[in-house]
Amino acid sequence: MNPAEEPAGLYLHIPFCRSICPYCDFAVSVARPAARAALVEDLITEIVSYPDWKRPFDTVYFGGGTPSMLEPEALQRLLSAARSHLPVAGDARIYLEVNPEDANAERAAAWRTLGVGTVSLGVQSFVTSELRRLGRHHRPERARAAVECCLEAGFATVSADLIFGLHDQTAAQWVHSLKTLIALAPQHISCYQLTIHEGTTFGRWRARGKLIEMPETQQATHFALTHRLLAEAGWRAYEVSNFAAAPEHRSRHNRKYWRHVPYLCLGPSAHSFDGRSRWWNLRDAKAYGEALRAARRPRAGIERLSDADLALETVMLGLRTTEGIDLDAFRARFGIDLVERNRALVDELGERGYLRNAGTRLAPTVKGLAVADGLASRLRLAD
Amino acid sequence: MSLTDSASCRQLVDNGRSTAARANRNPNPTVKHIRNFCIIAHIDHGKSTLADRLIQACGAVGAREFRDQVLDDMEIERERGITIKSNSVSLSYRAKDGVEYQLNLIDTPGHVDFSHEVRRSLMACDGAIIIVDATQGVEAQTVANLYLALEHDLDLLPVINKIDLPAADIERAREEIDADLGLDPFAAIPVSAKNGTGIEDLLEGIVAHLPAPTGDHAAPLRALVFDAQYDHYRGVVLACRVRDGVLATGQRVRFMHTGHEYEVHEVGYNRLRRAKVDALPAGSVGYVITGIKTIRDVSIGDTLTLAGQPAAQPLASYQAARPVVFSSIYPMSSDQYDDLIAAMEKLALNDASLVYQKDSSAALGFGFRCGFLGLLHLDVVQERLKREFDLALILSAPSVLYRVHTKSDGIKEIDNPSYWPDPTEIEQIEEPYIKASILVPEKHMGAAITLCRNNRAATIATNYLARGRLEVVAEMPLAEVLFDFYDRLKSVTRGYGSLDYEALDYRPGQIVKVEILVNREKVDALAFLAHTEKARTRALHYCDQLAKCIPRHQFKIPVQGVIGGAVISRATINAFRKDVTAKCYGGDITRKRKLLEKQKRGKARMKLVGSVEIPQDAFVAVLRTDQDR
Repeated sequence: MNPAEEPAGLYLHIPFCRSICPYCDFAVSVARPAARAALVEDLITEIVSYPDWKRPFDTVYFGGGTPSMLEPEALQRLLSAARSHLPVAGDARIYLEVNPEDANAERAAAWRTLGVGTVSLGVQSFVTSELRRLGRHHRPERARAAVECCLEAGFATVSADLIFGLHDQTAAQWVHSLKTLIALAPQHISCYQLTIHEGTTFGRWRARGKLIEMPETQQATHFALTHRLLAEAGWRAYEVSNFAAAPEHRSRHNRKYWRHVPYLCLGPSAHSFDGRSRWWNLRDAKAYGEALRAARRPRAGIERLSDADLALETVMLGLRTTEGIDLDAFRARFGIDLVERNRALVDELGERGYLRNAGTRLAPTVKGLAVADGLASRLRLAD
Repeated sequence: MSLTDSASCRQLVDNGRSTAARANRNPNPTVKHIRNFCIIAHIDHGKSTLADRLIQACGAVGAREFRDQVLDDMEIERERGITIKSNSVSLSYRAKDGVEYQLNLIDTPGHVDFSHEVRRSLMACDGAIIIVDATQGVEAQTVANLYLALEHDLDLLPVINKIDLPAADIERAREEIDADLGLDPFAAIPVSAKNGTGIEDLLEGIVAHLPAPTGDHAAPLRALVFDAQYDHYRGVVLACRVRDGVLATGQRVRFMHTGHEYEVHEVGYNRLRRAKVDALPAGSVGYVITGIKTIRDVSIGDTLTLAGQPAAQPLASYQAARPVVFSSIYPMSSDQYDDLIAAMEKLALNDASLVYQKDSSAALGFGFRCGFLGLLHLDVVQERLKREFDLALILSAPSVLYRVHTKSDGIKEIDNPSYWPDPTEIEQIEEPYIKASILVPEKHMGAAITLCRNNRAATIATNYLARGRLEVVAEMPLAEVLFDFYDRLKSVTRGYGSLDYEALDYRPGQIVKVEILVNREKVDALAFLAHTEKARTRALHYCDQLAKCIPRHQFKIPVQGVIGGAVISRATINAFRKDVTAKCYGGDITRKRKLLEKQKRGKARMKLVGSVEIPQDAFVAVLRTDQDR
């Protein structure tokens, strides 16, 4: 099926946290309860502002920020608004990002009642010193308890995030976190390499020489180790940073981003895509709210993608996933025979174990995933 | 400035006299009042400045529009302070004897590459001013040019220039004029071209010591064509020296070598701008316009005679210069190939010594294989293509012309590694040798000799010259001089060494073709021919430079230099191991695509060889010598 014809994804951005992590570059802020309440109203206004959106949604994702900070009642209001004003399918999968500190049996039960199918826990590490460096307030025991509690609550999928790549992180520390999580056995695991962004606390520290990035060879070692350990334990990678214990535990919602399936993302800074155009909201929550209250779109920008743009993104995103690029679909859609146009390179990368070219798909190996950005810049689309 | 802009000629006012008055003054001087001469000198000894001063002193150009080095009208000539194309100018000088003389100054290039142009100019002259720098003394090219002048039977007038400088040593210069040049040191006229000191003495010296031309006014026309330039409006303008007879407007003339005939549209004198006259008498130097459209139709050195009344014998001509250095030129981006074609055609209009033919490379696409008179000529052509035509270029390694004796196909002349035969087909190879003459202060003799020895000199001899200076004469392969010999000479002699050379002969040499493999694929544009002794060092240099310039790829890249199947040098470019960013969700995608587009634009300027992207500067870097590093 043409990805643009598949059911869409709905995303609601809750841009609040108890404190800002020094590495985070999302649109987040620390806000008082009144501001949180105002945001919920603003989000509902934005939900209502899309009466013409026709494509059904089969996912609803509460991301952030820290959506688990919202009371279950507030989440319920948002869900109800979405269900009444947008074509949300009855069996749509509902996702909730959860801070380990917010997870307890009572909350988990409430979320289950709301219909949440996947909780995604921001565990980050099971090493105390690393959690402190990352500005996280929970301790390893709390993270462990949070995972156990969510597993017991019976969500369809429990996912947990880990971060690697603090420059002095040893392989032993990283293996400890990975193995601890493997032992807890959530159905889905995300392992993100720490990226230092400008404009974050870590970015400023790096500029002042207080923080350095992990050397590339070590990054590569940690990356390979991650993929090997998780594969051996039964979690199959399906994207650069994402692993699932079984295909049904893959993130139906996130895969839409990587496959050019339309998505409507609401809230400050959220980016939406309808198969041809991409538009994004104002980043500042206050400005976002003011626009909506003045009955204006809270839009910061829009771009219409040319076929060349879409082709480039298809390559760029496809090479980040283990299913890779569907060559027939690519040729049908863009009129480009990707392998033919890059014959020497594809052969070379195949021989050297970076790409698998199984006839109908061009897909990266683990070694290829590690250099997916470089691969995307190498494949030529035009003569 | 345009020397050919006749419209503004009317506005030319100098020293208060009108141009018209001057043009009428002496349209056709009698032969005995003509002096045809050139200035010969080592590079940088002030030849162009001296020419400027003579022109100014004779009032051929007003102070208002005077521009330094008026004879050098190419931008590069001005910038580098060298003269590439000869030019001539007719000056009127009223001497102390009260007679008005026509002084025809023929400018000559000072660099060894252009010795054929020097010869060409000398053939039009009867005398020469030979400049010796008061601070530097006699240099290699001074001697070389002296021999050339003597070969052409020219009378010589030595001049000691730069006497205004604190380091000037006139007495020492006189000694060297005596010892190194064998000229009368007391005839030498001290001048400062820079501030004009001694210029009157020099003008009087020219009139007194240089001979008037000889020639039979009544004999059938014989005029030597010694230069040609392309004028956008008039076509080819020939510079010629009338030996016998009269060359006049309306005549039908014949080129005695080519047999081509043309009508004379216009003749005249070059007074910076062309000054038309009815006829050029025997002994004069002037220009002729005949309606020839391209410079390729002109054979410099040919003799013009009358079609209806031809001379029996042409004037003794000289051998046209043959290219000795070859290189392929490619546009950086293949869509500039058409521009390169147009640029080469235009350049060739004014540079008859530039030889070129179409060429193509698997790595670099279409281009031209070009023959040059020397490295400077190559450099000048390259610069002009860049500057005047705004082209970005890649050049292959310069090569000499080898004679390859093959087993089944006779002797082949090969300059291009692409056509190098299989080694099993080769019986013997000969390479061109030169006689290099290096003048150095005595204390740098050892360094100069070592340099020659390291560059495969067959014989090295030394001649003592005046006071602590000597000449190192070495017979060595031209190929060795091509690379960085001159720069190294300057470096090991702290700038005091000077070089001149002449072609000698061909001698057997063990030449091999070195191929460069990037990621096990041959890059044809990087192949080069080298002597076995030098092959490995150069191949290593290539590998190191390529490893430095080629960015890391997703895979490890070996860079190898090979002869046949044997690897003689190697370098490795390590692989990228991790570059993927961790997250790519809704908001990241546009940003990431834009970054990717930017990277791709950068890559579009790279050359793809197999699956390796080679930046263009890599092709330049391999030709850079050790000293630049």
